[in-house]
Amino acid sequence: MPFAIEAQHLRKVYPNSPPGSAAIDDLSLEIPTGRIYGLIGRNGAGKTTFVRIASTQLEPTSGTVTVLGHNVQGEEREIRPRIACVPQESRPLYFLNVEEVVYLYLKLRGLDSRDARRRTRDVLEELSLTEYRKRSVSRLSGGLRRRAMCAMVLASDAEVLFLDEPTTGLDPIARREVWEALRRASREQRTIVLTTHYLDEAEALSTRLALVERGRVMLEGTPADLRARVLYPYRVVIQGSFPREELESLGRVSPIEGGYLIFAREDEAREIARRALERGIRVSLGPVSLEDIFLDVVGRAIDTDTASNDAEVEAEA
Amino acid sequence: MSERNRLRSLLTLVWLNGLVPIRDQPLYILNLLASPLSFLFFIAIVSRGALIAYGITGGMILTMLSVGTGLQSDLTHYRIDLKFQDTVVASPVEAPVYVGGMALSEFVYSFPGLAVFVFLFVLARFANLYTLAVLAGVLVLVWAFASALAFTLATYFRDVRETFLFSPLISLALTVLPPVYYPISALPSWAQFAAKFSPTTYAASLVQGAVGLAPLSELGAAIDWGVLVGFTAVLFLIAALKARWKEP
Repeated sequence: MPFAIEAQHLRKVYPNSPPGSAAIDDLSLEIPTGRIYGLIGRNGAGKTTFVRIASTQLEPTSGTVTVLGHNVQGEEREIRPRIACVPQESRPLYFLNVEEVVYLYLKLRGLDSRDARRRTRDVLEELSLTEYRKRSVSRLSGGLRRRAMCAMVLASDAEVLFLDEPTTGLDPIARREVWEALRRASREQRTIVLTTHYLDEAEALSTRLALVERGRVMLEGTPADLRARVLYPYRVVIQGSFPREELESLGRVSPIEGGYLIFAREDEAREIARRALERGIRVSLGPVSLEDIFLDVVGRAIDTDTASNDAEVEAEA
Repeated sequence: MSERNRLRSLLTLVWLNGLVPIRDQPLYILNLLASPLSFLFFIAIVSRGALIAYGITGGMILTMLSVGTGLQSDLTHYRIDLKFQDTVVASPVEAPVYVGGMALSEFVYSFPGLAVFVFLFVLARFANLYTLAVLAGVLVLVWAFASALAFTLATYFRDVRETFLFSPLISLALTVLPPVYYPISALPSWAQFAAKFSPTTYAASLVQGAVGLAPLSELGAAIDWGVLVGFTAVLFLIAALKARWKEP
């Protein structure tokens, strides 16, 4: 099966939300099997709503979503044994210890004790949680709790994993460990749907990405595809004095501390770099980052909330 | 999910929500004892011991109902604050297994309370094979309908604080106003009529009748059983139709 998840013209309007305020609006996606698929977008963009619908927690208003060939409406029994989810802002039960969080989740899914113990031991090792295994969740930091939640689903036998902002609150080293575990899971042909605010994370992990804004997919493809589709695929940073008018004829210019940030096409970017070097000004040139693409497409940074999509913000709250 | 796996999931929930929290905080086991024993103490003092038998039988019913209110709080907390229910929904665990396991786990908390009341029941010379069988049947039905009601309500609450509002109201409607701690004859006729709408009236009537506290004919007992089973079935039906496992 080439696609683990297929969404067609998906729409979700939460009950009692104001007329016309759809959390998801005509969203279509195809998520390939055995890959890490990143959903990026601002708070309230519709990512969590999509994850909740695809993981059979929430009814869509219209449109269809199939997971592993089964419709999320009416065929939940076929889907649920094959998926696992770390919901946004979920926390483990506070009276359990880390080992129990994973082990009891696996038992809950129906695994026998021996298999559950082996998987628990392995995943705790993989995510550097072994030293905390007997520590109560109530005594863990937020990052360790989140890591325990990730461990739980990674240790499962699910073919599709939904991870809704799994690394929020993790320190950089712990994030890298979770990334490595996700990559390993992907190599085992498991499909991972990842929502994140961290664009570096999305870029580092995802085979394909969808940029979601106001319930719609604005851009979709591999990170390279996304770069190719923006008007200015290169970023040039100039540190020093340079006539702004000259730069504006070559690309889109934003002042930054001590210089300018210019988004430009390849030839113009090279030209800017050449002229800067001729003047002896420090210059750096490279492909745009995902953050730049986001800013270009949405017009706002990813860490700002979508005011109009109250329905999802309310639902997430 | 196979039957074996369902049973495994159910027992895991009993362990996870029933036994582990007690290991973590043993004071939990005293929690469910507090209200029934307070009522018993109050009734024994006020009636100068005359209604203590009602206090014992009523205490058992209240203990079982408390399982329901505890379940309601836990389910709401797990769904809203921890998103545990979402995690479970997106897994092979089915709604009846989740509710059954959680309800059984709350039952674990009631053991110490029940043990105290069974001890008092024996001490009052109520215990024989017949009364114990009636008591067991009644308590299982009370536990079942309280759990079904708890699950249905818990899926609608928007915040854990709403359980603080509803739990005392449920206790009031099902244990204080109906004749659980006193004979139904103590109520004025209009209140006796109103009490007929509470399933605990029939539960109390059966237990009080079995131990000889209130007269109960065979036909009356059959009606009480029928109504109690009917109430339980209706609450299960409401839970099956109205409780939200997958959100709309």
